[in-house]
Amino acid sequence: MMEFHIHHLHAWAPGLDTNEAWQAWAHHPTRRPDNNEQPSCDFLPTMQRRRLSRLARMTMHAAWPLCGEEEQLPFVFASRHGETPRTFALLGDVADEQPLSPTQFGLSVHNAIAGQWSILRGQHGESVAIAGEADTFEHAMVEAATLLSDGAKHVLVVMAEERPPAAYDDWIDDVPFSYAVALKVGGIESAEKVSSGERWLLRLELNAGTSTSGAWPHVLDFVRAMHTSESTLEHTWKTRRWIWQRSP
Amino acid sequence: MNALQQDIAQLIIDTLNLEDVTVDDIPPDLPLFGEGLGLDSVDALELALALQKHYDIRIASDSKDARQHFTTVATLAAFVQAQKDACAS
Repeated sequence: MMEFHIHHLHAWAPGLDTNEAWQAWAHHPTRRPDNNEQPSCDFLPTMQRRRLSRLARMTMHAAWPLCGEEEQLPFVFASRHGETPRTFALLGDVADEQPLSPTQFGLSVHNAIAGQWSILRGQHGESVAIAGEADTFEHAMVEAATLLSDGAKHVLVVMAEERPPAAYDDWIDDVPFSYAVALKVGGIESAEKVSSGERWLLRLELNAGTSTSGAWPHVLDFVRAMHTSESTLEHTWKTRRWIWQRSP
Repeated sequence: MNALQQDIAQLIIDTLNLEDVTVDDIPPDLPLFGEGLGLDSVDALELALALQKHYDIRIASDSKDARQHFTTVATLAAFVQAQKDACAS
């Protein structure tokens, strides 16, 4: 059993950039049109923005307000598919026997965005980049739980996905629209009176039945639950049944 | 600023994704690296690739002069012009 105090949640998706917009989405979740919109990240000077991809901008935008000016937070970046547009463009250059862009090649690793976060925010603590299956979000929370049990007071978790190029349509069907969700999480200290945020318990059970994928990616379903009064969520994938429970 | 210099300044902006920067922000004698525009070594590689593609020229990576050629837009323009002239003759 893992226990989390969700201190803050900040999410971005095309057309969903305010708490009110997410609140409305949570009550009537729909597939958002995704026209490659991206956050401006104009809190960064031009020279620091020039190597931020769309997924990186979404991540920076979502995570930025959750980390204080002088704060050091262990960072967990989670994405099942990563930067498919970049990969696809590089593969196109390889196929065309064109030289590869040094910048694009240099950033074509799963932990590139975590690295950029570390540089831009002067973070020198733990940093994790993971990719899992449909339950990547829960695996990111397992990472957060291990960092918390290792002594971290808070952990910053970002789960981000980008709509892949059309060439991937036959394989990737779980990114209805691009999104980034940032969570600042802590453990639950029984002595501490908590005035803001929410407490959630997460446990893993064996899933014996068939795996039915939900209507929404797990993290978006969690965002939905945060904005509604829902108190229990079940996310199953293959042999794993993740049970989220709101704690008073 | 002559036409080639303008062209190169625009190529720098487009290639290196310098949002909000205009050609006028990169005068021909502004140092491109370090103090000045603030580009770094990865930008230099990226820019060399773009110049080769755009002007159909070759830039030898081991050239001792490369550092000098890449100092400013003016030196780059002179270099590109010299390469084009050499290819044409």
